[in-house]
Amino acid sequence: MIPKPSLWRAIWGSVEFKLLLAWTAVVFITALLDSGHTYFYQPASSAELILRNTVLLGFFALGSSVIIISGGIDLSSGSVIALSATVFGALLILLDPEGFAKGSISTTAVLVAIAGTLLVGVMIGTLHAWLITAVGLPPFIATLATLVGLRSFGRALAPIMMNGKSQIDFPDRDLRNILKDVTSISILFVILAIIVWIVMSKTVTGRHLHAMGGNEQAARLSGIRTDRLKWFAYVLGAVTASIVGIISFADQGSAKPDIMARGYELNAIASSVIGGCSLQGGIGTIPGVVLGCLFLRTVIDAVSKIVGTGSDVYEGMIVGIVVVLAVTFSQRIDRASIKKYFSTPIGWASIPVLGITSGMALLLFFGNQAWYSPMKGILFGCFVTVCLAGRAWYETVIHKPK
Amino acid sequence: MIADTIISIQNIGKRFAAVKALDGVSFDVSRGELVAICGENGAGKSTLMKILSGVYTEYEGTIEIDGQPVRFTGTRDAEDAGISIIHQELNLVEQLSVAANIFLGREPRNRFGMRDDRAMQLRANELLRDLECSIDSRQLAGSLRVGDQQLVEIAKALSVNARILVMDEPTSALTESEVARLYRVIAKLRQRGTTILYISHKMEEVFHLSDRIVVLRDGRFITQRETKSMTPNEVTECMVGRSLDTIDLGPRGNRGEKLLEVKGLGLRWPGHARGYRLKDIGFELYAGEVLGIAGLMGAGRTELLESLFGASKETPSGEIYLCGKRIQPSHPKEAIEEGIALVTEDRKRLGIFTAMNVGRNISLCTLRGMRSGPLLSDQKERDAGASMVSKLKIKTDGLRASILSLSGGNQQKCIVGRWLLTNPKVLLLDDPTRGVDVGAKAELYRIIRELCNEGLGVIVTSSELPEILTLSDRVMVLNEGRQTAMFSREEATQAKIIQAAT
Repeated sequence: MIPKPSLWRAIWGSVEFKLLLAWTAVVFITALLDSGHTYFYQPASSAELILRNTVLLGFFALGSSVIIISGGIDLSSGSVIALSATVFGALLILLDPEGFAKGSISTTAVLVAIAGTLLVGVMIGTLHAWLITAVGLPPFIATLATLVGLRSFGRALAPIMMNGKSQIDFPDRDLRNILKDVTSISILFVILAIIVWIVMSKTVTGRHLHAMGGNEQAARLSGIRTDRLKWFAYVLGAVTASIVGIISFADQGSAKPDIMARGYELNAIASSVIGGCSLQGGIGTIPGVVLGCLFLRTVIDAVSKIVGTGSDVYEGMIVGIVVVLAVTFSQRIDRASIKKYFSTPIGWASIPVLGITSGMALLLFFGNQAWYSPMKGILFGCFVTVCLAGRAWYETVIHKPK
Repeated sequence: MIADTIISIQNIGKRFAAVKALDGVSFDVSRGELVAICGENGAGKSTLMKILSGVYTEYEGTIEIDGQPVRFTGTRDAEDAGISIIHQELNLVEQLSVAANIFLGREPRNRFGMRDDRAMQLRANELLRDLECSIDSRQLAGSLRVGDQQLVEIAKALSVNARILVMDEPTSALTESEVARLYRVIAKLRQRGTTILYISHKMEEVFHLSDRIVVLRDGRFITQRETKSMTPNEVTECMVGRSLDTIDLGPRGNRGEKLLEVKGLGLRWPGHARGYRLKDIGFELYAGEVLGIAGLMGAGRTELLESLFGASKETPSGEIYLCGKRIQPSHPKEAIEEGIALVTEDRKRLGIFTAMNVGRNISLCTLRGMRSGPLLSDQKERDAGASMVSKLKIKTDGLRASILSLSGGNQQKCIVGRWLLTNPKVLLLDDPTRGVDVGAKAELYRIIRELCNEGLGVIVTSSELPEILTLSDRVMVLNEGRQTAMFSREEATQAKIIQAAT
């Protein structure tokens, strides 16, 4: 009947393609700017680090994004990770106390402990689904409650298992090396990602999840069992977080329920959004989310390479900036009109805010570099302010009524 | 021509994507006049009024107020020029008091610059007293009945000294006594010299109230005449574009076996004074038959269909038999499996999935049958979609087009197609032609008739009586949750139905 949209245009316009492009640019720029040129000289170890971080974020970002696509939100992932790590440790102690003390745990105990931890994930997901569908809480409230509640649960559990110590140390070095092995967890992640991708894009359940996220009432009236779908989504969210809990326990060598994975839920939500999910629900793809995780972790890594020591301090700032930029640029751009970013009263007020922030960021990020001087920070702040004011002036001129 | 023109509408046009909602409409309104704007749903009445009151700011043509060309940038702008609109769907903030609603956005301040709630209440009470109604301005707007909420909107319009008041089907949700009160309020407004544009397709009201009638059809201006010089029949003919008697959907199929039997159906309404949404409903539906359900807004039409479909909040009491077998659907899914389909009212809110394309909107209910192995088969899905596009003559740029690129009528056909794929025995249609243009409406009528001839049983509700009369073999009338009449096609007339519905 009518020409189909061309394949090339579909690829060109997709979030996935744009993310790949942006990711390539980030890698390239970092390789150049990094004074040690780590990406050139140690590609393997750089890749391994990024991969490990991406996979650890990716696992539960898969769950988070399915929840977001289905029209919900899961704030509890970080706490579920911490609790799962603690539960895994506790189960190891309970199942094989002698092996735990000696540092060599029987394989059966390990397998049962893993199964038990994943079961705890299923139970947490079920609790979420019950709070949301039967009690009728908004997902934000239900998972806010478990966000604070489950971490506290983990903190209470650890000292009971460890005679008053607030953390559980990983007992078995060989087991630890197996569980944190980057190759096997990457393969596991890829397999899981492909399964979730197929489920979301090629099965009835996936289509129904999209429909429910887009219009829940209409979905119910179309005969979709929305309650069961929600159970599926929240269980997937919690189980993927439990997997991360088990791996993180091995990766970090200890389960510290008070600080472990704190705030990670927001990284998962951020990478879903970067990957093209709409928080309104109904929109998003799994490849987009995986690339969103890769992009986010690469940018964080890039900044740490360029800045050097103490880079984890900047992680939050980077996530914030990347989310704002990604969502701003993915908004549909109406070519005919120039958007009013700065020419409104709030826009003008935000110009000095952004200028000062930029100057401060330069100061904080690069304070230890040889070329740095405070003057440069001030100058950079002024430069940004002038640029933005220029943009505001331009917007005013364009929008002046004829 | 007309002395003392207050509004002059010249060549107004407006498009929504592919649909031309208004096309070169021009007429004048004199000061102090009450002009009725008539036309079927989708004729462009509401669109025109929204342009006039600054809701839509993008349009072709010019509007002159008091001889000055104006172009409103928003409703505030129109209010400043003295034009207020009372929408069909009321726009009150339910969590705020009546007084706060009336002064929303222009709250009076006291001498310290703080919001002056007392002044607001006093002034609001004054306005409401003027309208002869006993509403306490401290009540929450959400706690009021629809009729009272409407009076609050009118008070709001008066509070900005509106010289021109647009009323968009104000009586559609009112009881008889509330309508009478509204008439008194309108008379009062006219004494003060307010010009009123009154949108309605209810002939009784139009002839009772108006000085002049303007008729629109398919977005075009058709005619304007003194009310005294017209008869209701002439007006309806102008609205429909042909004499009403000529609507003929061809031969009717024979009544087949009994499909559906409902006995003593009831639906509780906890927390409401009446205690029930539906009570003692009983009827039968035969294959090849259209049963029309008439009733005012709030009579329980939607609730009845939802009970049959397993979609009501409360579990209905009573018995439902489908092909002789008792069914008790507790979820739409179960009703679908039994062979019942429901095309919901309010297509935008309850029907379409805006993030999905046309094909996916059509296939949604029957995805399980479109698998090969555990995975969805694109081929099967495409075939099913294409079969419905051709069967129902859906006008679309292919199955991959956005559902939002379709006109209202074609979106509705997609939803009908979605349900036909489920192979229903009984098709429930809840106000299926709301917001659908006249041409598509006739096509939907034809489709409904064809489906009946294929042996489906159809239950249709509508807010428009002519539609019920055109489509139905039998008409059941609901009034406040009770079944008050059942007419055969021969017996049913507008007058009888209205009498039973009020």
